[in-house]
Amino acid sequence: MEDKKNYTGPLMIALQYNDLFDLDSISTSTDTDALPNGRAFTFIKAVQTVNERLVEQNKSDCLLFEVILISKECSEEIKMKVDESVKHYGLEIGKFFFCKKEELINTLQSNKVKLFLSTERDDVYEALHTGIPAALLYDQADDHVLNQLKVIFSGDVIGFSEDSLDGLSEFGFSETQIETIKTAKICMKEFAVLIGQMRRRFGQENSPLCTCVLTSWGSRNVCASALKTLREWGLDVDEAFCLAGAPCSPILAVVKPHILWDGGLLNMS
Amino acid sequence: MNKPLMKEMHTFGEQETCNQSSPSKKPTPPKPQNAITIAVSSRALFNMDREQDIYEQQGMEDYLKYQIQHEIEPFAPGPAFPFIKAVEAVNTRLRELYPDSEELFDVVLMTSNHAHVGLRLINSINHYQLFIERFCMTGGNSLIGYLKAYHANLYLSADSLKVREAIEEGIAAATVFSPGKITEVPETQLRVAFDGDAVLFSDESERIYKAHGLDKFFEHEKAHENKPLDHGPLKGFLEALGKLQQKFYAKGQRLDCPIRTYLVTARSAASSGTRALKTLRSWGLETDEALFLAGAPKGPMLEKIRPHIFFDDQMFHVEGAAELGTVAAHVPYGIAQKVQSKTARDVKKDIL
Repeated sequence: MEDKKNYTGPLMIALQYNDLFDLDSISTSTDTDALPNGRAFTFIKAVQTVNERLVEQNKSDCLLFEVILISKECSEEIKMKVDESVKHYGLEIGKFFFCKKEELINTLQSNKVKLFLSTERDDVYEALHTGIPAALLYDQADDHVLNQLKVIFSGDVIGFSEDSLDGLSEFGFSETQIETIKTAKICMKEFAVLIGQMRRRFGQENSPLCTCVLTSWGSRNVCASALKTLREWGLDVDEAFCLAGAPCSPILAVVKPHILWDGGLLNMS
Repeated sequence: MNKPLMKEMHTFGEQETCNQSSPSKKPTPPKPQNAITIAVSSRALFNMDREQDIYEQQGMEDYLKYQIQHEIEPFAPGPAFPFIKAVEAVNTRLRELYPDSEELFDVVLMTSNHAHVGLRLINSINHYQLFIERFCMTGGNSLIGYLKAYHANLYLSADSLKVREAIEEGIAAATVFSPGKITEVPETQLRVAFDGDAVLFSDESERIYKAHGLDKFFEHEKAHENKPLDHGPLKGFLEALGKLQQKFYAKGQRLDCPIRTYLVTARSAASSGTRALKTLRSWGLETDEALFLAGAPKGPMLEKIRPHIFFDDQMFHVEGAAELGTVAAHVPYGIAQKVQSKTARDVKKDIL
């Protein structure tokens, strides 16, 4: 059982460049322009706000976010544009990695990434399956204005017992899916502990960091179990939602998280 | 991925947390679009007066500390509690008659309270064995988006500002006040009383009364007797109750129907009341009883009826009802809202 005191910053998050920039609307004729914003843009801005507020309180705080960019395969031209665009928007990107698709997992592992964030569900679950902490970058509208980083932890993943999770095979979940969910709970812990430490640096009100639990399938008692576990990990969340099977998408559209730890369990209908 | 069977999945986790060898089968909440969703705030459902005092006098941090310290102590029931219990009793009857139907009440705890209070709220719900499996604790953020996401048919809160916001967004809502004395209300029959103008109906006639006086009002109502009034914010909720009543009638349970509705209006039976009844009829709606008070105070009549809740747009009537033991709820709609609404606790202080 790892002592949570061994968890230290920086909190390194890996993004894929095609989430940060919108590559579908590139036209080759305008090659002096920076790439248009992608889905991760508001996320990066929110992360930068949190870092600014942390440093404001304590200049030598080493528990900060660090964002690195990973690209699966791209031309030299795109690589240059990515580099230019990052500078153009003043984004604080720690490192760039351009690697082949097959090397993605290795790259993440060797850089001890504390969270791999992607809009691609398959990439997220593949990473989780190999033990890399991974979560969904929630696909939200660009006009999300709050200067606040919002993280949702799945109450189902945390709150259901080990036996309950095994029993999910009766509901059509495959072995792989169940293993992914279980791994998600283990992977989530370090991230939750660090977020908890970060969260405590701010007061109840006016915090640039907001944490939530969302229980999609489980009962209120599963949600309570998740709240208690997160508290043991050092995180008392700000918001809590229990859906008991109601569709998730309308609720997520109001919560508007950046980071969504669902482990593959969410009811997205 | 195959979509899991929601029905069983919901109770699945329960088997583990209950530690029972033969777990009791808890029914599954219906899909929001099929159900009649009642959103209730934490302070309407439970009594949080002491905690609210701490919040107002000592601030957020002390308030949350207090809540966490007292986490295993369930809250005492709040003003909307008997209403919610009665709603659940109706659901039990509906499930007996229509085991596969999703046309049921669904109660959602909808609060801007902080999730730090979450465990205490869940413990309290468990303590009273309420059937509330859905909640939103938004940590201070607006509830409007969530009310819409849940298709809330009615929102009850102790916070008049939130209720006003909801009404302005077209959501049926009311500020619940605690009665000045405890009244025994029926456990097996849900009784809901409505004022007419600016609650079930629009405030068009009230405007005439306020601008031109009683005589003009009577004249106008007589002249327009056959023209239905426009609808008010709670018409939809009466309609929803009517739909559920029909389900009982269809099974031959008209006489002991577990839902009973009342119109309690200042209009008079002899004259202006006609337009009210004709309007309801034109909408295909009815109330089980219609009480025309011709301007007399509503408190004593409501004391006799013993409803679980009474909706009115005028604080004068809300206070009058509460004084005599009725859980009264203010609907901040229409011309009567010129004066700043009192908070629920101000009213309580006035009454007690």
